[in-house]
Amino acid sequence: MPDSIAPDALRRLVLPDRVHRSLYTDPAIFDLEMTRIFGRCWLFLAHESQIRAPGDFVRARLGREDVIVVRARDGRIRALVNRCTHRGAQVCQAERGNTAGFACPYHAWTFGLDGALNSVPHRQSLPPDFDLKDPRLALAAVPRVESYRGFVFGSLAPGGESLVEHLGPIAAVIDNVVDRAPDGEIEQAGGVARQEYRGNWKLHHENANDTLHPGFVHESSVSAARGDPRDYAAPAYDGHQTHTQMLSNGFGVREWQSLSLTGFPAGHSYMGGFYRGGVLSPDRDDPVWREYRARLVARHGEEKTARVLGEDRFNNLLYPNVSINAQYQQIRVVTPLAVDRTRVTAFCFRLKGAPEALFHRAVRFLTNLSSPASMILSDDIEIFERVQGGLANSEPEWLDQSRGLGADRTEAGGRTVSAGLSELPHRAQYAAWLRYMTAAA
Amino acid sequence: MNAAVEIDVKSEAEAFLIAEARLLDAGRFDEWLALFAEDGFYWVPAAPGQSDPLNHLSILYEDKSVLGMRVRRLGHPRVYSAQPAPRTAHLVGNVTAAPGAEPGVDCEVRSTVMMAEYRPGQAADRRLWAGQQTHKLRRTPEGWRIVLKRVDLIDCDAVHGILAVPI
Repeated sequence: MPDSIAPDALRRLVLPDRVHRSLYTDPAIFDLEMTRIFGRCWLFLAHESQIRAPGDFVRARLGREDVIVVRARDGRIRALVNRCTHRGAQVCQAERGNTAGFACPYHAWTFGLDGALNSVPHRQSLPPDFDLKDPRLALAAVPRVESYRGFVFGSLAPGGESLVEHLGPIAAVIDNVVDRAPDGEIEQAGGVARQEYRGNWKLHHENANDTLHPGFVHESSVSAARGDPRDYAAPAYDGHQTHTQMLSNGFGVREWQSLSLTGFPAGHSYMGGFYRGGVLSPDRDDPVWREYRARLVARHGEEKTARVLGEDRFNNLLYPNVSINAQYQQIRVVTPLAVDRTRVTAFCFRLKGAPEALFHRAVRFLTNLSSPASMILSDDIEIFERVQGGLANSEPEWLDQSRGLGADRTEAGGRTVSAGLSELPHRAQYAAWLRYMTAAA
Repeated sequence: MNAAVEIDVKSEAEAFLIAEARLLDAGRFDEWLALFAEDGFYWVPAAPGQSDPLNHLSILYEDKSVLGMRVRRLGHPRVYSAQPAPRTAHLVGNVTAAPGAEPGVDCEVRSTVMMAEYRPGQAADRRLWAGQQTHKLRRTPEGWRIVLKRVDLIDCDAVHGILAVPI
C-alpha cells in the first residue's frame, strides 16, 4: 500500500483558497486516494430494488475492487470480490442477474451466494489438510455493507464510523426521494447510462454545485432553447421537458447568487433553492402532477406532502462517490479509474404508486442529462478534459477556489453555508479530502 | 407492384440515404433537419432491441422540435463539445426497402450504417460508430420525408464518450 506521502506534505497542497495541481495529476496521490478515501469511506454500491430476491446480484466498483453485490438465501446483502480464490479468474461476467452461486470457469471451484467455497473438482489430489471451510478459500467479502432506506453502501475499512454517521444530514436527500413515492418504495428502472471522461474524478464533484459555469459552459444549449419558438400549451412528447432542462442553466448571476450552498465536514454538499425559480420545477400544474400529488396526500396527508415536495435541494453530493437529485429521482455514481480517467454511471428510480407518466419524466431527465448525446453533460465533460489537459502543464502550480471566501458562515455541526455563486462546495470537499488523506489508519 | 417498380423504390431510397449521409458529413445540419417530417422522430436506443422510448433511457430520442434545438446548438459559436467540429464519414450499405406497414409511412428502408468520426483537438479521437438503421419514410410533393430514423448501434449499451453530432 502506498503510504509514502507524509501528512505535512499533503497539507501543503490544500489551502483554503487554492489547491495544488498534483491533486489532479499525480498517480501517487491517486493511489493514496484509493487507499485513504475509496479504501475506507462508505461508497454507494447498489439499490436494494436491484437485488430483491435471493440470488439476485449486481456488479459494482468499490475503490479498486470489482465486487458482486448479492442477496443470499438468508436475505442478507453481501459484497464479494470478483476473484476466484484458486487462480484468480473473475467468477462473474454479467453486470446483473440471478444465480444459485458462482462457478469459476477455469477449474470449476464453486462458491455459494455467501461466498463460501462449496466444491472443488478432484479432491483426492489436494493435500489432506485442504479444508473447504478455510475462510481464506471463500470469496473475499467487503468487511462492511449497510443499507440506508434501500441504498446499499460498502466500506473496505473493517471499523470506523457507521453509514448513518458518515452521511449525517445529507441522508435527508435519500429520505426525500423515498418519501416522494406514494407506496413508500422506489425501484431502479429504465436502464443505466455510462460515460467515461479523461479527467480526474474530483472535477465532476467540483462542477456539480459550481453555479458560475453554466452561463458559460452551457451557453450553447441555453441559447438554442431560448431561440425555440415554442407554444407551451401545445402537447409535446416530452412535455417540453428537454427545453426546460436546457433553459434551466440560463439563470443570470443575480438568480444564481440568490441560491444557497451548503457543505458538510464529511465533504457532502448541496445547492438549495434551485427549483424555486420554477424553470425546472417538477411541480407543474398538469393532470399527471395533480394525480401524483393526490396519491401522495393519501399517504402522507397534506402537511407532510407539502413538506416532502417542497424540499428544494439540488445536486446532493454524498462524498465521495454519489450524487442524488430527489426531484427527478436521479442518481449518478462517480468511479475513479485512474488519476486522469473517470466513469460516470447514472440511473433513475420509479416512485412506486405514482402515475406511469411521472416515471417517463425521470427517464427523460436521465436521457437529457446523462446520455452520451446529452446537450448538457457533453459540454461539462469537454471542459473536464480541457482542465485535465491544462493541468498537465507544470506552471502555474495552483488552482484558485477563492470565490466567496470570507463569506462562508459556519453553523451548528460544522456545516458551512454561503450564497449561490460561492466556491464553498470546493472548499468543503478539499477540507474533507485533506482530513481523509491524513487520517491514521 | 412489379419487380421493376420495386427496384425503382429501392434505388430511390438508397439515393435518399446517401444524400442524407452527405449532408451529415458536410455538417449541413439545417438541411438534414429539413428531411424530417413535421411529426418525425430521431431515435438512437440505449439497449439492444429496445422497444420503448418512454420507459427506458435512450442515447437520443427527439422529435423535430427538440432536434431543431440540437441543430441550432451545433451552430452556436461556443458549443464546446463540438469544437473543433468533428469530421465524419458515413458509409451506408445493405439497403433493403419495403412498403410502409403503418399509416403515414410509405416506405420502410433498412440499412447498415458506419460512421467514422475524428474529433480534432487535444483528444484527437478516432472512433467508429456502427449499427443497423431503419428509416420510415413518407412521400410528399417535396420528396421523401423521415417519419422515424432509428439507429441501433452495436454498442448502444456500452460506456461511451461524448457523441456530439447526429449519426
